Amino acid sequence: MLLFVLRRILLGLLIVLLAVTTLYCLVQAAPGNPIDILLGPRGSPAMKAALEARLGLDQPLPVQIVKFFGSLLEGDLGLDIKTKRPVAELVLERLPKTIALLAASLLFASALGIPLGCFAATHRDSIADRIVGVASVSVISIPPLIIAIYGLLLFAAWLKWLPAVGAGDRGDLADQIYHLVLPTLAVALNWIGYVARLVRASMLEILNEDYIRNARAFGLGEGRVVFRYALRIAVAPTVTVLGIGVGYMLGSAIFAEIVFARPGIGKLIYDALLVRNYPVIMGSVLASTVILVVATTVSDILNALIDPRIRQGQEA
Amino acid sequence: MNETPLLEVGELALSYAGVPALHGVSFRVGRGRVAGIVGESGSGKSTLGAAILRLLPPSARVTGGNIRFDGRDLLALSPGEMRALRGTRVSFISQDPLRALIPTLSIGRQMSDIQYRRSGGRQRKRRRAAEMLERVGVPEPEQRLRAYPHELSGGQRQRVSIAMAMMMRPDLLIADEPTTALDATLEAQIVTLLRELQAEAGCAMIFVTHDLGLLPELCDEVVVMERGEVRETGPVGRVLNAPASDYTRMLVRCDPARVAEKTRRLPTRSGSWKASDPPWLGPPERIRRGEPPVLAVEGLEVTFRRRSWLRGALGTRGDFVVRAVRGASFRVEQGETVAIVGESGSGKTTIARSIVGLQKSERGSIAVGGTDVTGLPPRALKALRRKVAMMFQDPVGSLSPRFRVGRLVTEPMVIHGIPTRDRRGEAVRLLDLVGLDASFADRYPHELSGGQARRVGVARALSSSPELVVADEPTAGLDLSIQGELLNLLAEIQESIGLAILIITHNLAVVRHISDRTIVMHRGEFVEQGTTETLFRSPRHEYTRRLLAASRHEPGESQVKASARTGDLDGETP
Repeated sequence: MLLFVLRRILLGLLIVLLAVTTLYCLVQAAPGNPIDILLGPRGSPAMKAALEARLGLDQPLPVQIVKFFGSLLEGDLGLDIKTKRPVAELVLERLPKTIALLAASLLFASALGIPLGCFAATHRDSIADRIVGVASVSVISIPPLIIAIYGLLLFAAWLKWLPAVGAGDRGDLADQIYHLVLPTLAVALNWIGYVARLVRASMLEILNEDYIRNARAFGLGEGRVVFRYALRIAVAPTVTVLGIGVGYMLGSAIFAEIVFARPGIGKLIYDALLVRNYPVIMGSVLASTVILVVATTVSDILNALIDPRIRQGQEA
Repeated sequence: MNETPLLEVGELALSYAGVPALHGVSFRVGRGRVAGIVGESGSGKSTLGAAILRLLPPSARVTGGNIRFDGRDLLALSPGEMRALRGTRVSFISQDPLRALIPTLSIGRQMSDIQYRRSGGRQRKRRRAAEMLERVGVPEPEQRLRAYPHELSGGQRQRVSIAMAMMMRPDLLIADEPTTALDATLEAQIVTLLRELQAEAGCAMIFVTHDLGLLPELCDEVVVMERGEVRETGPVGRVLNAPASDYTRMLVRCDPARVAEKTRRLPTRSGSWKASDPPWLGPPERIRRGEPPVLAVEGLEVTFRRRSWLRGALGTRGDFVVRAVRGASFRVEQGETVAIVGESGSGKTTIARSIVGLQKSERGSIAVGGTDVTGLPPRALKALRRKVAMMFQDPVGSLSPRFRVGRLVTEPMVIHGIPTRDRRGEAVRLLDLVGLDASFADRYPHELSGGQARRVGVARALSSSPELVVADEPTAGLDLSIQGELLNLLAEIQESIGLAILIITHNLAVVRHISDRTIVMHRGEFVEQGTTETLFRSPRHEYTRRLLAASRHEPGESQVKASARTGDLDGETP
């Protein structure tokens, strides 16, 4: 098991390395650069050259990348071009907001999706199963941005039940959770549908297995057979999908954070991209890559805990 | 006997999604008696077993009749009452040991869980489980309790299933083909075990099987089923020796183990073969020895290595090495049938895979028509595969479900660039060769029966006009009547086009009739090879003797006795 975890962590580090290198190149390849934006149309070539040298942008791309990783090891992500604040500080300040949003979304999606899928599978072909099926597909097909905007209009602007903007930074924990409700709804609603469909499909498959019939033949109760035996095996694929799903959720989180003016990583990336603020872009992208890698690694480890065959490296 | 029977099934009728599966099935099982339910696939024998436990899929509906267990009608019980009987009074053993246990829980946990109705703490339940494992012959039971199902061999897993079923001392044990997925030697051990446990516990047993040879080993009475109906019931000796129904007569006749004389033409359901017919061995000039032979294997060695890069880097453990084939040498001549027999894990399938170039060999040569094919580049391998065709074990699984039969059988021609002006014509010709009419060309694989799918497999293997056909377990999972048809078909084709056939199998009853020479393989080595007659009449190697003893269903001598006499078999490979 230890070996398994070690291997997954090594693999995770490698992924971060590759992703950041790729993004570094992509960001630089995008048209526009921070020099023109910072100095405006009146900047002289000399001023441009000086600023370029100060930001290290005059060096060849490979050198820039190596330098980036070098300072990363010291915990230094460079300075925000506009505010001159250390990017690391900026990212760490925003990170909890996004992690809270993602965690709440994961929780919401599994807490509703898994029981719904399980219920649909055990009541296969009943009216309830059909309703869950139709509802799941409908929910999957609404884009998160639309959910965010209409959620805002309906619950914040019209009904005034929920706050419209911010993260409730000045309030207590309850206020922060209050502010989390609408963004979570926007990010997670799709995933309730996905998870319900997925759990239903794998439950149906597992419930058909010989070993489940045998467990019933030993007189074990339905509760134990369905929840303790079958569900445990059936959630494995869902755990994997949710691990990767964190990547998609990050994408939706950007929209949600923009719509609800929530100061998270997504909002940070968006604002930095508009002004080609390279250090901030790289810092926040690095943070989201790490989130994604941690999520997939955790889902792999969870799968290994569920299934001893994976733990013992039989999946190769 | 005026005592009420333990189980009495009366006029039971049942359907799956409206399609009738059982029609008016009636039989009874007395206390402490063993009833065999025998029939071919689709006869409803497994459905019947599951119906008694009321563990049928949701689409099944009982449309009539009753099941009385110890005087109570099981069909009238509430789900709770039914559950109270399961595991304590009626127990179940399923067919495939690889799918019988929950993969994510340890053996100990599963064996403790089913004792939930019993008193005592966790330790006591584990101790009971360990004792039961010991009783069913699982070595080191304490350690096995900590193991997960995938860490045990198939035979051991089946022993665990039996231990679980017997742990609560049921009054009735339902065993649904518990040995079908096992080798002959393991089968003999499991049958012995079941008989011993049944006698010890004094419980009644329903033994569902398609193997007539096992009936006299275990059963007192036999219920013969066909297409959801009972054809015949009666004491085992009477049913097998003097069958009353035509169907039972056909089943008995089709069992190759019951055909005393060697014959190349096996009895089939429709065939006119009679026991009085002289054995038909085909024209003697069928085999043409040539130099070079169709296939010559010399000193073949295949080794499996598994290297983990991290383990290598950390130096925790070396390579994991299995020597699957150790120095195999043999020849197959034109028109000849050679069989390689052995238990699973003996390396016989590895040889087959090496010959068709699916497996790299460590040492030795494989010459097809004089050309050494080991280490050939992929391009040259393609030419080899035209000469050597493989018939795969799983007939439906090896056919792509999206293509029609006509396209499937001519696919090898396209792959090998064999010019065909009329692809459909070719398909019809090939189908005709295997006894299927032209309309089959338009069917999809799922529209074929098991026997028809095998025939399509043969047609596909023949379409590139090969010199050698390698057949991996061609009879696995086939009913006896279909098995005979398939093997007769291969023999006919062999005679008409001078095909060489290499059969990989553990079905010795069939090998005795159809193969000219037989090779016995054990743990990667050829322990004996020779003409089939000599090998079966006077086996020289100890292992061959044990293998023959385990698979022989001879009148008057039971298989179990035979294998018990030769001592315990070490058939299990973890």
